[in-house]
Amino acid sequence: MTTQIKLRDCAKTFADGTRALAPFDLTIEGGETIVLLGPSGCGKTTILRMIAGLEFPDKGGVITFDGDDVTHQSIEKRRVGMVFQSYALFPNMTVAQNVAYGLKVHGVSRDESDARVKAMLEMMHIEMLADRAIDQLSGGQRQRVALARAIAVQPRVLLLDEPLTALDAKLRVRLRTEINALLRKLGITAVYVTHDQEEAMALGDRIVVMQKGEIAQIGTPRDIYRKPQNPFVADFVGAANRLDGQMRDGRLHIGNHVFDAVDAFDPRHGAIIDQGPVELFFRADGLSTCDAQDADFTGRVEAVSYLGERLRLTVSGIGPQSVMVDTHADDVIAAGADVHCQINPDRLTIFPAMRERTPAASDAR
Amino acid sequence: MRRNWKFYSQLGLTIVLCLFIVVPVVMSALAGVTVNVFQGLSSGFTLRWIIEVLDLYTDSILLSLWIALVCLVVTLVVGVPLAYVLVRRPGRWTRLFEELLTLPVAIPGLALALALLITYGGVSGYRSSWLFILTGHVLFTLPFMVRSVAAVMSAMDMKMLEEGAASLGAGFWRRFFTVIVPNAKPGILAGALMVVTLSIGEFNLTWMLHTPLTKTLPVGLADAYASMRLEIGSAYTLIFFVLIMPLLIAMQTLADRGKRASKRIDTAEDTL
Repeated sequence: MTTQIKLRDCAKTFADGTRALAPFDLTIEGGETIVLLGPSGCGKTTILRMIAGLEFPDKGGVITFDGDDVTHQSIEKRRVGMVFQSYALFPNMTVAQNVAYGLKVHGVSRDESDARVKAMLEMMHIEMLADRAIDQLSGGQRQRVALARAIAVQPRVLLLDEPLTALDAKLRVRLRTEINALLRKLGITAVYVTHDQEEAMALGDRIVVMQKGEIAQIGTPRDIYRKPQNPFVADFVGAANRLDGQMRDGRLHIGNHVFDAVDAFDPRHGAIIDQGPVELFFRADGLSTCDAQDADFTGRVEAVSYLGERLRLTVSGIGPQSVMVDTHADDVIAAGADVHCQINPDRLTIFPAMRERTPAASDAR
Repeated sequence: MRRNWKFYSQLGLTIVLCLFIVVPVVMSALAGVTVNVFQGLSSGFTLRWIIEVLDLYTDSILLSLWIALVCLVVTLVVGVPLAYVLVRRPGRWTRLFEELLTLPVAIPGLALALALLITYGGVSGYRSSWLFILTGHVLFTLPFMVRSVAAVMSAMDMKMLEEGAASLGAGFWRRFFTVIVPNAKPGILAGALMVVTLSIGEFNLTWMLHTPLTKTLPVGLADAYASMRLEIGSAYTLIFFVLIMPLLIAMQTLADRGKRASKRIDTAEDTL
């Protein structure tokens, strides 16, 4: 039994008049994991809190769970499981009591509650912590307790608000993998909020990229990564290199160079870009180093970072801003040297240049 | 480590200052069990004065304890929810209300008592009952309860705890009694001890508000000092001491425990 969630025409204006969310529609299929991704202040948490019943949409907005209108229902009635960034565990109770809290509220019998708490703790591999006080737990253990507590009441939807942000990097990856496995196993509808692109890719069936209170793109991780629909998404998912160009008769001009066979499709207008100024976004693999005679560009190395499996160069003199270029880890290149680069046209994401570049796209990184 | 003259001179000064405060207390306590204070300790020790005080003032002492207890109940019932509202809904109005609430602490007790007398002095049944004194005590002690509870509440992220409980289906009152109150317990306990101590020892207000039939412990003390042998007044002080000391010690212990709890570092390893 999984719950489909629909938000129709939901907008949010706060009491002080700030518009947190422009009206939007979003359908989350039963059993699907949706990740709301975006920089802080983009409205992703507001959407989560709307689904939870902690915020209510402006007049006209409708939220349904499996067709039931829950728009005006309070959080207590909605049967949602919530996991917070700072855990929100009850310090006056033990681990087991925390997990049992929701069951007690729902009037589950003592025996059944005990059994379910035990099963939950085992599922989260924390059965040995059952009688511990909350302040004796590490951050990772706390978040496991919080997950167990949220799932114990068999909620219609599991809502996770940056649950891994407070943890250190190594633990984050590990718990992320476990949460992923847990969500698949339970087959529960889940909404996960994060500002971490990698986390979003790893967990989401679909990702909703948010920008300044609007949905910038909804798509599978693959779509978002490979076919960002606007400069903001491209930039946010890691295509941080940017060059300016011109399309003339279907061919791409960058400086004095001309490239054929470029896939210059503008998804926003659903049309091929044939003419006019364009912006090019690409990752570090969009450029590669080469010999002088094959070079499209020559730039100057500003900085070198050794990343283990490769060497990442920060190169100036190619575009308006410096760009990242990856090369073999064994290459010996020092800052200040000239470097020759070739462009890989099929790795470029091309957008028509906007008269004014949105500042948000560059601020987000 | 060798200690130099600075250490010893500071130690000496500290001891002298402590003695300055402690000696009168000891003298007063001794006076309460001395046969004749003007002859000194050589006149011998007796419990006579203490028994006499208990004979004369048991009613006052019991009334004080009763008022302190009722005062505690009222400040708990009113103060804890009030602290909750002040912390949970900060704004201009709650700020203003908090200022108002603190006013009885800032203005002299005599002035507060005068205000109560002017307003309610004519309501004879009320004026002559212990409830009149209770009113003064509640006004005076409530801010201490509210402050103490609010301090703990604002340190515990109530909003998130409540959201967590609400997501599990708990309505307001259940959240309040199963999550908010238990976690505010250190503040409530500290506030409770403070209220009882203040109420038992309150003199300014009470002296103005009391009638011959509603005399409290400190008012009786003043009475004894003014109209009876010095030994009786001293014996009275001794009884007061015995009543109030355990409360003060409990308060100190609680405060220490609170400090230690907040200092405890998260030592659990992230092995999971």
